[in-house]
Amino acid sequence: MDELPPPTPPAGGDQVIAGPDGPEDAARPQTGGFGPSAAGAIAAAVLALVALGILWADGGGSIDEPWAPAWDLRLSFALDGLAALYGLLAAGVGALVFTYASAYVPRHLAADGRPREDEARLHAAMVLFLVAMVGLVTSEDLILLFVFWDLTAIASWLLIGFDRRRREARLSALMAMLVTTVTAVLILIGILMLRAEYGTTQLPELLRVAEPSTTVTVACALIAIGALAKSAQVPLHFWLPRAMAAPTPVSAYLHSAAMVAAGVFLLSRVHPLIALEPGLLDGLIVVGLLSMAVGGVLALAMDGLKQVLAYSTISQYGYVVTMLGVGGAKGAAAACFYVLAHALAKSALFMTAGAVTQATGAKALSATGGLLRKLPLLAAGSAAAAAGIAALPLTIGFFKDELFFAASAQRSTELGVAAVLAAGLTFAYMARFWAGIFLGPLRSPVRAPLERRLVWPIAGLGVLVVLGGIAVAPFAELAGDAATVTNGAPVDLHVAYHLDTRTENLMALGAWSLGLLLLAARPAYVPALAAFARLGERLGPDRLYWVSLRKLNELSDAFHDFEVRDLRSRVSSVIVPASVLVALGVIVTPTGGVYVVGAVERDDLPLVVALATCVFAAISVTIPRQHIALTLTLSGVGFSLATAYALMGGADVALVAVLVETLFALLFFGVFALVPRSVLRREARRRSPDRNRWRDGVVAVASGVIITLVVWSALSRPVPKDGMAERHVALTEVAHAKATVTAILADFRGLDTFVEITVIGVAMLIVMAAVRTRRRA
Amino acid sequence: MRAGPMVRLVARSLLAPSFAVAAAILVKGYADAGDGFSAGAVAALGVMLQMLAFGRERVARDLPLHLAPRVAMCGLAIALGVLIIPVLAGGAPLEHWPPPGEKPIYIGTLELITAVVFDIGVFLLVLGACVAIIDALARARAAEEEVA
Repeated sequence: MDELPPPTPPAGGDQVIAGPDGPEDAARPQTGGFGPSAAGAIAAAVLALVALGILWADGGGSIDEPWAPAWDLRLSFALDGLAALYGLLAAGVGALVFTYASAYVPRHLAADGRPREDEARLHAAMVLFLVAMVGLVTSEDLILLFVFWDLTAIASWLLIGFDRRRREARLSALMAMLVTTVTAVLILIGILMLRAEYGTTQLPELLRVAEPSTTVTVACALIAIGALAKSAQVPLHFWLPRAMAAPTPVSAYLHSAAMVAAGVFLLSRVHPLIALEPGLLDGLIVVGLLSMAVGGVLALAMDGLKQVLAYSTISQYGYVVTMLGVGGAKGAAAACFYVLAHALAKSALFMTAGAVTQATGAKALSATGGLLRKLPLLAAGSAAAAAGIAALPLTIGFFKDELFFAASAQRSTELGVAAVLAAGLTFAYMARFWAGIFLGPLRSPVRAPLERRLVWPIAGLGVLVVLGGIAVAPFAELAGDAATVTNGAPVDLHVAYHLDTRTENLMALGAWSLGLLLLAARPAYVPALAAFARLGERLGPDRLYWVSLRKLNELSDAFHDFEVRDLRSRVSSVIVPASVLVALGVIVTPTGGVYVVGAVERDDLPLVVALATCVFAAISVTIPRQHIALTLTLSGVGFSLATAYALMGGADVALVAVLVETLFALLFFGVFALVPRSVLRREARRRSPDRNRWRDGVVAVASGVIITLVVWSALSRPVPKDGMAERHVALTEVAHAKATVTAILADFRGLDTFVEITVIGVAMLIVMAAVRTRRRA
Repeated sequence: MRAGPMVRLVARSLLAPSFAVAAAILVKGYADAGDGFSAGAVAALGVMLQMLAFGRERVARDLPLHLAPRVAMCGLAIALGVLIIPVLAGGAPLEHWPPPGEKPIYIGTLELITAVVFDIGVFLLVLGACVAIIDALARARAAEEEVA
């Protein structure tokens, strides 16, 4: 067997013969008809497709509603050419993939021993993804776009981790989520930089006013990094092969027409901004070429069906990124057309891989072969799709490469050569993929007949791919309209067959010959491929991800272990850093005019008495040894403080202080009631060792002194005339209130109050959950 | 463990007044000292006192303790509603009605303003959360005794 071992140990779907949904399970057909959730998902996708289609045929449309005017956020959506292309792809491919999923997922669940009802989760997340995708592509506001961007990340996490009992699936979902959301933060930073510079996040306005500057360049670079990570471009590509742990319909949708497409969509959306800095465009070309090379070479090396397709996707989106880097009318046209052609063909191929696994139980090229006669319709549909990716004539793929070659050759000879090399690689791995499944000796027999819904969507996409190769005009028009938006200027996209020796045709011939050569010479360089794959595994970014994740986890554990060791370390981990900061603040604050001793007048006598009581109570706390007495003495401190507040005119504060003291006293009594009497008695008699007593004394005195200094300096400072307090008092009347404190809590600082009560609610849930688990234990 | 007769007498006779005081604090919050938090704490104190004096089982027969978490969540939902609805209507989060300058609607001396609704949410949350936490601890204790 000359095939490589799977490159990454935990990557799912790599086993030559399937584990959990293995042969005996695959042999049991699950023809259960449509589940209600599947029907709903398909209906949603068809509805989205029809709505988008009608709207687009009608000349687009836009919605612009204020969202949060106070923050200058608008719900502004517009269906322009770019939105139409990606939206129609997401909805159209979605409709077919959801149909496929309606038959696939019940089989998948049955093989895993899970109830059929679980399919509703998958369909719901798929529809969430579709909605997020449509929202993403139609957003006119960058903040809105970011919200949908994160929504797609959440949906993809749910989808990739659908087999949540499998560790690999969970880890893969986490990886995809981390890589795409951590980089999404960069996008947000970029957006906010643009907002700070130009005071708006409305894209049309930004495109109008933006000029070349360092801010714009940095912001665009950050946005581009996030977009490239989403499109699985080198070096942030490693999550995609892992994400193959997802059920096949998820891969067919996310990793052809939706999730990875979102990255290049964003690049296209902000392309006029990126194009302000030629250096960024050059960077895109470099990343695109690297992804083309790495993805193409590894696609040739892989054995797992879905692994080949995953690396192929990396490589294919490398083409698109390169074209966006080339820019101009030709680059934009090539990029948009490429996305369209690739999405149709690649989702069909993913579904083919799933159908083959369902039929035979085999998951790798080394375990399949000779299925042409057994599954003729599947073979025909996927042949059209594979030919589409490999850019053979009479498929839509031919034109994608024609545009690609034209744009590359126009840019420079070197890029033209690179384009031919990449296309040759693509031809080789696509031919190997299709031939490996359908030609040669029969390796795994067909054990279970396939439902029509597992085959027809593939055939349908195959027909589309061929249709695009014959009557390309509607596809070209859609891509041309998208390219117009990308380019920021009208793009005239024309493709046709030319039977002459123009450069593009020669380049295509060169690519095919190179592909055939690569295929024929494969045994000669397989060891080199294996070495490359192993090198990537040892030193690649995937490795870096795991190492950094582990180190971060260890750091977090170390902090956590210290913090939760006992009550004292938990309290001190909050108080010690806080008090050090406060002490530093006091030390560096200028002391002119503070630490003054004011005059004590006769009216102050009650206050002085209350405070003296407080001091007396505080000192008395050190004396009692019985728990109840100690609690009561502590309450005494609080109550005398409450009296002081009341005397100073803070009725609200005094009321709260009394209530809190009472609550705490009752809580303490309640806790003591839980502790056996003997334990309480023993603890009351225990004396702490002398060493601790000295330490505790020093800590107590030091913190007392610092607190005294802080309070003293704060109180003796003159109150600013137009401070926050005065403003709040003045505003109280306006807010229909007579009590300022209440108005602050419910109105001026209402958001804080809301967060605080949320914390209380969460604390309640935690206590209840903790008690429940303890009882169960 | 049962408290003595005196404590029980005082506890029982304080239940109704504590709720009355809580209601007063809540309603008068905008004109006088007190707010939803204080009101919730007063009401919760009334309930906690019952539990200390009579034990959880006895109180659970008279008062719907099991509803406490739901009360708390309702409070949170009300507060969230007051927070979100202005945003949906195009305002800032937690924008209160009536706006400054407009006369609120009066029922007697009680003013109808959304800030009071928010405060009621706070009240329900504090009351529900306090009672739920104490109830959870008390039930844990009862379960432990059963095991022992």
